[in-house]
Amino acid sequence: MANHKDEIKHPFNLTHQASEATRMLRSITDDFPDNPEAMNYFYDLYKKVYCEGVSLHENKKIVGTMCVQVPEELIYASGAVPVRLCNGFYTDDHNGADFMPAKSCSLVKATLGMLDSKSTLPFINRLDDIVLPATCDQKRKAGSMIADMGYSVYDMEVPPVKESEEARIYWRRSIRKFAGELKQITGKKLSKSSLKEAMAKISRAQKAYRKLYELRKQKNSVILGKDVFMVTNAYFFDEIESWTEAVNRLNVELEKRVEEKYSAAQRRAPRLLFTGSPAIFPNLKIPMLIEESGGVIVGDETCSSNRMLYDMVSSDEWHLNAMVDGIADNYLKPCTCPIFTKNDDRKRKLLHMAKEFAAEGVVYQSFSGCQVYSMEQASITKALNDEDIPVLFIESDYSPDDMGQLSTRIEAFIESLKAKRRRNRK
Amino acid sequence: MIKNIRKKINNGDLRRFRFWLQIFFFLLFVYGGYLSINLGQNIPTFACGFNSEGQGATCYLIPLQHQLALSSSTLFSMAGIAVLIGFSYFVLWFLVLNKGWCGYACPLGTIQDWITSLRSRLGIPYASYTWEQFKHLKKIKYILLVLMVVIPMGIGAGFFSHDMSTPFCMICPGRTLIPIFTGDFSQLTIDFSSKTKMILTTLGMLITGIFLAGSFFKKRFFCFFCPMSALHFMLSKLAFLKLKKDGSKCTKCGDCYTVCDMQIKEIADDVESKNILQDDCIMCLKCVSACPEEGALEVKFMGIPVFEATVEGYIKRMEKENKNG
Amino acid sequence: MKYFAGIDIGSTAIKIALIDEEKKILASRVTPTGSHFRKNAITALETTLSEINISMDDLSYMISTGYGRKLMKESDESVSEITANAIGAIEAGRQHGDIKTIINIGGQDTKAIQIDDMGTVTNFAMNDKCAAGTGKFLDVTAMNLEIELEELGDYHFNIKGAPLPINSTCVVFAESEIIGLLADGHNKEEIVAGIHYSIAKRTVRLAKRVGLEGNVYFDGGPAMNKGLVAAMEDELGKELVIPEHPQITTALGAAVLALEAYYDEMEEE
Repeated sequence: MANHKDEIKHPFNLTHQASEATRMLRSITDDFPDNPEAMNYFYDLYKKVYCEGVSLHENKKIVGTMCVQVPEELIYASGAVPVRLCNGFYTDDHNGADFMPAKSCSLVKATLGMLDSKSTLPFINRLDDIVLPATCDQKRKAGSMIADMGYSVYDMEVPPVKESEEARIYWRRSIRKFAGELKQITGKKLSKSSLKEAMAKISRAQKAYRKLYELRKQKNSVILGKDVFMVTNAYFFDEIESWTEAVNRLNVELEKRVEEKYSAAQRRAPRLLFTGSPAIFPNLKIPMLIEESGGVIVGDETCSSNRMLYDMVSSDEWHLNAMVDGIADNYLKPCTCPIFTKNDDRKRKLLHMAKEFAAEGVVYQSFSGCQVYSMEQASITKALNDEDIPVLFIESDYSPDDMGQLSTRIEAFIESLKAKRRRNRK
Repeated sequence: MIKNIRKKINNGDLRRFRFWLQIFFFLLFVYGGYLSINLGQNIPTFACGFNSEGQGATCYLIPLQHQLALSSSTLFSMAGIAVLIGFSYFVLWFLVLNKGWCGYACPLGTIQDWITSLRSRLGIPYASYTWEQFKHLKKIKYILLVLMVVIPMGIGAGFFSHDMSTPFCMICPGRTLIPIFTGDFSQLTIDFSSKTKMILTTLGMLITGIFLAGSFFKKRFFCFFCPMSALHFMLSKLAFLKLKKDGSKCTKCGDCYTVCDMQIKEIADDVESKNILQDDCIMCLKCVSACPEEGALEVKFMGIPVFEATVEGYIKRMEKENKNG
Repeated sequence: MKYFAGIDIGSTAIKIALIDEEKKILASRVTPTGSHFRKNAITALETTLSEINISMDDLSYMISTGYGRKLMKESDESVSEITANAIGAIEAGRQHGDIKTIINIGGQDTKAIQIDDMGTVTNFAMNDKCAAGTGKFLDVTAMNLEIELEELGDYHFNIKGAPLPINSTCVVFAESEIIGLLADGHNKEEIVAGIHYSIAKRTVRLAKRVGLEGNVYFDGGPAMNKGLVAAMEDELGKELVIPEHPQITTALGAAVLALEAYYDEMEEE
């Protein structure tokens, strides 16, 4: 990687990132009683990767992805491993602020900060390519900055409107072009069997996720939202098969909890949905505050979690082009990312989830500087309020300095949900 | 108990079920005659009457075209009542299965599915229409329906010669192909007895060729143009069997659209309509079995749920697919 | 007789309210938070209790609220200041009836709360992490103009010209803007009025986010500033309900919640 400042590299466990990760991990594990046994796999994984700098995916090509719209099936089928680079470190947010506009969103700043400082992720130096879907303005413009840091960047075109037939055609072509790019990187052409295998691999992971998703519908919450975010967030970088196994083990343990009528939160803890800007480790500030304040997150609608894993692809006949087209549609049409023009799908999704999960309120996080989530807020709030579901909108970033104020707001929100419940009973 | 049966059905392998049901109907309609089965001549699907020995029932389009060609004086006499009764039988038959007649019972549809499966086994990918082509082509079935009504009436009124009777049958690939299954190749000829007949039978041969080639590359190629399908759609609102969608549960993932033989976009994109059946739909129900959203798509018979999209069923079927190399 | 206490540990002041089982205020106190807020809170509480000759042991139930709520281990439980404020406003504004909206300006934050008839919070908004438009703003103004905080109201009404437009919403930038205006020879009166309108505009905008229905209740230290109240009423286009002791509404709410919690517990036993 040319043209990069020479730094004295600290041992990994002494970096600011490692200490930030350590602090958060400790909080996640120690501040809550009775974490599921099976969660240890995930806690250890984070510890290994972020605190000890243990690398993963040895001897494999690694393709970094910058948004949820990149079809991972194609990457696996080409013999490479996808790693989602969206980053949640405050330390990296700071690094990014050195060269990014002050008002840009923390996620973009932190991701670029990480890429620039070449730390945080132990295998960051081994990225063979970074795929950057042209989603929001900030991500779009980040491409050339990342390229200037010495990475190879592939700009993936995304239509701004997703409903039209033109968008479908455009996106399908964009995906086919991407398949061509992958061949350049890995030297391996997509084949019917490798793609089918990759699809099966991802669908097994999704199946495990769906099971976990169903388990959260239980009246007694068997798992806290902070842990589910840890699980789904691990999907960003973990080896997919061992991730799937770990989730399956967790599911077995949670099923036992269902039988034992065990509740991971207070029995009457208000049930909340989390939506908006994604919670990415270690920025689990808001989910943690919610659950420390006596609420429980039962579901989410974010690109670091549910949006990434929920929708499964199927194919009628397993022909290469048909599969690729089917995959393309699946990454575009159900995507509720606010970069698209219409808000209807996201409203529908949240309303349906609120019903399915018996959620009493929605917490909507928008990173300061994230125009699209902030703009979409009003219409989403209205749609939910019309169905008598209160929404707490929080504009925040990765810095910990608004914790005091946020905890007041979150507590007040939870108290108001409890009061509402009492009122409705009367 | 009922819950368990429902679960079994929802988890079932629709593909296999359909394969065997199609064979059953094929045998019934194409060879039923040998067992003296006769379900009458008002059947709302291509149980071709030109398959004179084997037919177990007759396609309603044959009597319809004949009846429309009756002179108006006959049509408005007692014979008219018979016509109406015929039509009522047709409607009654139709109401039971709705467009399921196309996806499960139509011998010509089944032949196309067999051709499709042959193509797929050869590893040749299927073709699709572009959205523009789709929009235009789908109108053809209505034009054919109008012609199928207008021409016989023209005959009755004396505008056209009787050589043009049953005009649709003359060009229908069902007439040329279905009798072959009982060893009757006689329809594969050009009738030189008159100019009109020559033209019509030549056209029929031509269309048969197009049918074979088209359905090799395009799934359910002919169904886009089928006037019976157009006729069905006009009555489909009344049918007992219904395809329902609950848009609030749909994520627009598009799996239903991906598997749809008829390229019906609405099945994935329309989240408003409850009754999601479109004119091109053949009610094969592949969409329901490919839908991973609990209850987003549902088949109901007189309001009773028969087959419903479930996550469990979806995953079961997916696993099976993945095992088949 | 039973005693219930509410203690509101805010960023600039500690507020205490003591009530009896009739919800009558027996004693109250406002004292600066200072740097040792826990020590100061306990001292303030003890002083208040001694006013009516009782001690900590005589308290049946105590609830803490405000930023320091969680660290006040002496209280039975803590509640967020938004919930406490709502309950307090219903109690203190009872004679005005139909209070649906509460505006609270504190030392470092501004809140707008929408409540129903029972004091249940149905919606609320709070300024984001910066201190623009809060009590801090008034402190800085008074300091820069070298006048007492209490005098701001008088300056507001002694205005000769029109209120000066203050463009900065940030406390730090406003400070330099004020100095600039003074240097340009503007009157203190017009600057004060300008600041009041600037805060009022910002606050009303926040309140509009939760909806402005029914009577609007205005509390917090700055509600004692008549000039600011006038500016707010101007911006709102309606009269505000100002309680007798604007600073202790939240503490009172906490005390009322303490009373309710106490009897709920009794009932359960």
